Amino acid sequence: MTAATAAPVRHAPGGARAVPLTAARLLRIELRRNAMPWILPLIAVLFWFDSYRPSTSQPPFWILRTFWNMGQGHTIIDFGPFVAGVAAWMGSRDGRRGMADMVTGTARPRWVAQLATWGATAIWAVVAYLAFVGIMFAVYAHQGLLGSPPWWWVAVGAAAVTTFSAAGFALGVCFPSRFAAALAAFGGFLLMMLSSQTGFSHTSGWAQILPTNSNGNFQLDSGVLYPYLPDLPIARIMFFAGLTVATVGLLGLPARAGGPWLRRTAAVIAVAGLAAAGTAVGLADTARLSARGMDISALHDAASDRPTPYTPVCDHAAGVPVCLNPAYRRWLPDVTAALRPVLTESAGLPGAPTRTTQIGATYSSGDGAVPGPGLTLSGRPPVLGIPLGALNLPGAFGSTAAELTQQLQVLFVHAFVIPGAGSGTPGQLAVQAALLQGAGIPLKAQPSALTDYGLPSWARATQHALTNGRQSANGVGPVTGPVYAAAQRLTGLPPVSLHAWLAAHLTALRAGQITLAQLP
Amino acid sequence: MNVEIADVTRRFGRTEAVAGVSLETGPGVFGLLGPNGAGKTTLLRMVATVVPPSSGGLRLLGRDPASYAGRREIRRRLGYLPQNLGYYSGFTVTEFVEYFALLKEMPAGQVPRAVAAAVERVDLGAKARAKLRTLSGGMLRRVGIAQAIVNDPELLLLDEPTAGLDPEQRMMFRALLRDFGQRATVVVSTHLVEDVGAACSEVALMDQGRIVFHGTPGDLVARGQESGAAGDAPLERGYSAVLAAVRSGVAARS
Repeated sequence: MTAATAAPVRHAPGGARAVPLTAARLLRIELRRNAMPWILPLIAVLFWFDSYRPSTSQPPFWILRTFWNMGQGHTIIDFGPFVAGVAAWMGSRDGRRGMADMVTGTARPRWVAQLATWGATAIWAVVAYLAFVGIMFAVYAHQGLLGSPPWWWVAVGAAAVTTFSAAGFALGVCFPSRFAAALAAFGGFLLMMLSSQTGFSHTSGWAQILPTNSNGNFQLDSGVLYPYLPDLPIARIMFFAGLTVATVGLLGLPARAGGPWLRRTAAVIAVAGLAAAGTAVGLADTARLSARGMDISALHDAASDRPTPYTPVCDHAAGVPVCLNPAYRRWLPDVTAALRPVLTESAGLPGAPTRTTQIGATYSSGDGAVPGPGLTLSGRPPVLGIPLGALNLPGAFGSTAAELTQQLQVLFVHAFVIPGAGSGTPGQLAVQAALLQGAGIPLKAQPSALTDYGLPSWARATQHALTNGRQSANGVGPVTGPVYAAAQRLTGLPPVSLHAWLAAHLTALRAGQITLAQLP
Repeated sequence: MNVEIADVTRRFGRTEAVAGVSLETGPGVFGLLGPNGAGKTTLLRMVATVVPPSSGGLRLLGRDPASYAGRREIRRRLGYLPQNLGYYSGFTVTEFVEYFALLKEMPAGQVPRAVAAAVERVDLGAKARAKLRTLSGGMLRRVGIAQAIVNDPELLLLDEPTAGLDPEQRMMFRALLRDFGQRATVVVSTHLVEDVGAACSEVALMDQGRIVFHGTPGDLVARGQESGAAGDAPLERGYSAVLAAVRSGVAARS
């Protein structure tokens, strides 16, 4: 130690320009000495095994791959608890290290110093989150995924990670114990589990605000036929930003945090944050499922509803053009082959489609069923609309080409014979069964075919009619009863005779005016 | 006067750690002596504006620490080394001192030079980039002193600053104290009476939360000579004599 006199240092606080410089220096030190980088290898391993790897079994669509890891909140679950734990470790640092007196006896408000520590922690966490997701997206892009990436989900994840860091840090500040980190991590994990469970059971209402509630996220053709609807992500970002701001504001309330003016500011910030989070919950409560996703009228921008323009790819092998979005090109032969028998049967009949096109699929949150009739027949001349994204695409979720064929044929014949969303009259059901047998699904196999995953609720009523309400041990009863008997009569007719009868009576049949007794 | 303490008390629950202390001191090195539990650390924490007094008044560097603005202004001009020095083990010496320079609201442009000077003054220039976890106890104490002096304080409060320092470092530290004492008020709480004798111009002895002696080191030596108390050094004899007198008085009263 030397007694040499150092150059005197002026104590006057710096000017306005000095404040950012000081903040930058504090932040630089905190960034260099933050504990967050130590946990990143563990998160990386978890991210690989929990978020990325399972997603690769999904078909090569951005929406399907990222729904697994982002739509259901896996990336947030992988990050959140660890981020909360490390943030609690950083927040409890002064208490654990016996630094309370030293830092309290300095001029800079304690709140400001805490903000620098938290800021560095949050920056590490968010940058790591964005880097991990960015690498995953780069790999997806390299794999040639179809559609576009869900950037809104990335923003929600980043906001959630920030909130976890703020909550963990606040816990560490309030309970400066070595156990604070473990407590925060466990609490974060528990919250995520509760959030997931609530998400499973709440398909609408306030619970849509929870980041792991996948019901509001899964819109099958987002990023392909239309943009990702940003309404719910905006509400979620608002929710997390509000919680973060409120938590940070609460840290500034204790007397040791700073002066009266600063504490009043902190109180205002905390109230504003809580108000924002509350407003976001209220907005989520108004969310309604639309054809393109969760629609929150207060946040909705009509521009988000515009379909994404594309040049379709078509196949003429079925007699009428079958056209799909180029993203679904690989399934065009399967779709054409599946539709060819039923399009051949319907050719020349009133209302037969002259063209087949792809329409956006909608997901009815919770029950996994395709709402309404599934396939649509509309316009003059009639055009068949296929919500292909909602069907059992070969390779997706373990589905096979045979399942897609069966599903397409069931949906087409139903749409062709029975207008609207109803299950149909006995006469309509008998004709439907006969046409399906003509397309290649034997009568005896139809009750089983009608249990295919993804079929609308009318399929159960149709199965009930074909089996006359009888059930077997596996739930699918044998064909029997008057509808089956009438269908058998129809299938016994020569195809030309059946076609001629349909040409004469199909309009009346669709109107529900043909009874079982009137069938040939 | 840089430090004006008027009838200050501080209670922690039922314990009265400081019981009606009044002191005034200006520039120079002020030694605070006393046995364990005498209230030295609590008095120093109050002067460091870390804990407020339960009653009584403080005026530091001409400002009232009870008001936020006054307290903040005092803290800008304050250097404080607590008895139990905490540290961030992952920080380097330079980062730790810089961190406190920034917390003390030093002008950002002056920080690098001031940090380097403070680190050099505690003879840790060679260890400037070493992580704190790699340093010995004595070196950590010097890091603590560096953070206390980095802002060239007008009021420097040091609680057991020489604990863990080797004899050579202690001599250099006393020189540092004398240097600071020429332009600032330095309050040193210590058990080591030789530190007081070597560096302090004024000394107070605390016992059971009260000031039982206030004078120069020479006055304390004189008290020892008068009483013929036991001790290896003149100041130790004075220390023992004052405490013995106080305690016999207490015993007589009780």
